[in-house]
Amino acid sequence: MSADVTGVFVRLKLSLLVNGLRQSGGRRAAYVASAVVALLFAALQLLGLIMLRGHAHADTVVVILVAVLALGWAVMPLFFPGGDETLDPTRLVMLPLRPRPLVRALLVASLVGIGPLFTLCLLTGSVIALAHGGPALVVAVVAVPLALLVCVALARAVAVANIRLLTSRKGRDLAVLSGLVIAIGAQVVNFGAQQLGASGLEPLDPAADVLRWVPPASAIGAVQSVSEGSYGIGMLQLALSAGALLGLIAVWSRHLTRLMTSPDGSTLQAAGESAVRERTSTGLSRLLPAGRTGTVMERSLRYVWRDPKTKAAWVTSLAIGLIVPLFNALQGTGSIYFACFAAGMLGIQMYNQFGQDTSAFWMVAMTISSPRDAYVELRGRALALLLITLPYAALVTVLTTALIGDWPKLPEVLGLSLALLGAMLATGAWTSARFPYSIPQEGYKNVAPGQSGLAWISIFGGMIAAALLCAPVLAVTIWLNVSEGGDDWTWLLLPGGAAYGAAITLLGLRLAAPRTAARLPEILTAVSKG
Amino acid sequence: MTSAAVRVHGLWKRFGQQVAVAGIDLELPAGKFIGLVGPNGAGKTTTLSMVTGLLRPDQGSVEVVGHDVWRDPVEVKARIGVLPEGLRLFERLSGRELLAYTGRLRGLPGAEVDKRATQLLDVLDLAGAQHKLVVDYSTGMRKKIGLAAALLHNPEVLFLDEPFEGVDPVSAQTIRGVLERYTASGATVVFSSHVMELVESLCDWVAVMAAGRIRAHGPLTEVRGEAASLQQAFLELVGANGRDAAASDLDWLGGGAR
Repeated sequence: MSADVTGVFVRLKLSLLVNGLRQSGGRRAAYVASAVVALLFAALQLLGLIMLRGHAHADTVVVILVAVLALGWAVMPLFFPGGDETLDPTRLVMLPLRPRPLVRALLVASLVGIGPLFTLCLLTGSVIALAHGGPALVVAVVAVPLALLVCVALARAVAVANIRLLTSRKGRDLAVLSGLVIAIGAQVVNFGAQQLGASGLEPLDPAADVLRWVPPASAIGAVQSVSEGSYGIGMLQLALSAGALLGLIAVWSRHLTRLMTSPDGSTLQAAGESAVRERTSTGLSRLLPAGRTGTVMERSLRYVWRDPKTKAAWVTSLAIGLIVPLFNALQGTGSIYFACFAAGMLGIQMYNQFGQDTSAFWMVAMTISSPRDAYVELRGRALALLLITLPYAALVTVLTTALIGDWPKLPEVLGLSLALLGAMLATGAWTSARFPYSIPQEGYKNVAPGQSGLAWISIFGGMIAAALLCAPVLAVTIWLNVSEGGDDWTWLLLPGGAAYGAAITLLGLRLAAPRTAARLPEILTAVSKG
Repeated sequence: MTSAAVRVHGLWKRFGQQVAVAGIDLELPAGKFIGLVGPNGAGKTTTLSMVTGLLRPDQGSVEVVGHDVWRDPVEVKARIGVLPEGLRLFERLSGRELLAYTGRLRGLPGAEVDKRATQLLDVLDLAGAQHKLVVDYSTGMRKKIGLAAALLHNPEVLFLDEPFEGVDPVSAQTIRGVLERYTASGATVVFSSHVMELVESLCDWVAVMAAGRIRAHGPLTEVRGEAASLQQAFLELVGANGRDAAASDLDWLGGGAR
């Protein structure tokens, strides 16, 4: 019976893989391409690891690699909950299955796929790099499947523990925000890698000394220990991994049983959440202007905080706008002009304004009956954006200037930032009307299928246009900097840049408004896709 | 009341190869409770979207209370209320915030919006959930808050796309009560549905749609004609009668054959 279930699940997993390919030519091409890249990458890693054999820091590299791989397995199901349908046991709730055979079947089914194959290649390479002598080989033969199983069981345990979270609204909101962790994490890793590139592998040794006791890296650590003749330590490390595997399976199995015998999270969440949100921000609305302008601003600002997609985009922009100029300044490689990055990153939020509304844009469309209405609507959105962006860009510019210590340049950098911001708002408003595209609310994608071309035109075309629009201010800046005695007049760039930015924003809004008013149904159709 | 609330002439819409609406001519009388009925995919939503200015027709003209929807949007948009199907609301606002937002966008004074919102929330049984985000509302609650948003500016004509779809019986009764009171005062309601019993019990004027065309229209009794119910009349109109005889293949199904 149980072998039967296992077979069925493995076949189910294979069918899911194959059917995924059958859906469309494009998807098949993408899948095959990614599979080829993954396998090539795995083969290269395998080769690299084999060549690492005998290198002084081989054990450090290998242990850290395996630990990072395990981390990847642990976080993967959080970011891509829809990625593997067999990962979602709630689909099996209605079937008469006992926990034990189910766990076994799911575990074996998880071993099918590109991910496990990739991991297997890497683990094999790792033990080849480390194993010296007969006993070590024997340990290696045990260690590789053990480490692989720990990885897979880890992913399963994390997925099942989080499925309640992932099926509730709050949980999905969190999942959207997790994309942000990757974006900001990448910046930090990039910064760290640059530091590491300067000083070599040695600083990693202490980390590896800890990680070689953490499963599943400890299974690989065991191969190293046995190769060096410390059999006792090796056995202990191997036992640690085996213990971890049993522990993970136990946790997984317990969660699975509970999950499949109780109502699912989506029906439960309503009960716990009846906490009333009495505190409406009437304080905020009192400060905003009356009429459509204030109404639009209030809604935009509420969405920055409450809508997970909008919030993620904003936090990413705020973080990158701060990290890039500051980190570069800290490293001593920065230019003060990098401070314009803050204004640029936040200006991007003006792009695709109506896409951010999703199909709820119809509520806006029903109330726009003239170019004047459209103008006030767009101006309200731009004002809401400025409310956050102006102080933030000023803060980043001042901080960057302080780090670099070039205070005389502050006015001109601030002026340039404002001009850039104005140009971004102007082009953003115009492309919002001309090239709208929809932003899917679920998952990590920011463009609906089939609209990525539009998104590229909208964002990159807009940014290039914005850069061109800034050219006059840029030209004056360069001219003042190179011409003799020009430095005395660079302060003029602050009021000049601000005035230019404001003028060009107003012009952009004026041009965008009639287009918006004339294209309401087309915009609605574009932002309702997906 | 001889004037027409809505006048549609030669309305066409194609999506690629598929013709969604194939030439509709229709006059909907003012002050009536009007039902637009038809099976799924008949073109009801496409028609209502074009009539309310949310979708641009390929051909044809639409007039609402005497004003062209596409040439005179200022006059039309102030006079109509819409509850579309399949489009979102601003779900990250609470129910009350959504009404406050909609009313102010419509240009109503703030104090008036808040007064009307309170009354609508009370009548529609949403007062208890007014501070909850709309994203956490049930289907019935969403339809009710959408209806409240559509009624806020006291429109002359109200367009509702499947207002009872997925709505529990209690909410449905509430919606019904509000709509009946609204039409009794002389306003016009146009709503679409594929549930014939509902249309039959609510409407005094119906238009039957199938495959992108109007098959019949007029006062309910006229369209129903000799048939026992609107359901029967409808099945005859679209030629779907007598299909249930084909069930003989399922002879294993049921208790007797076990």
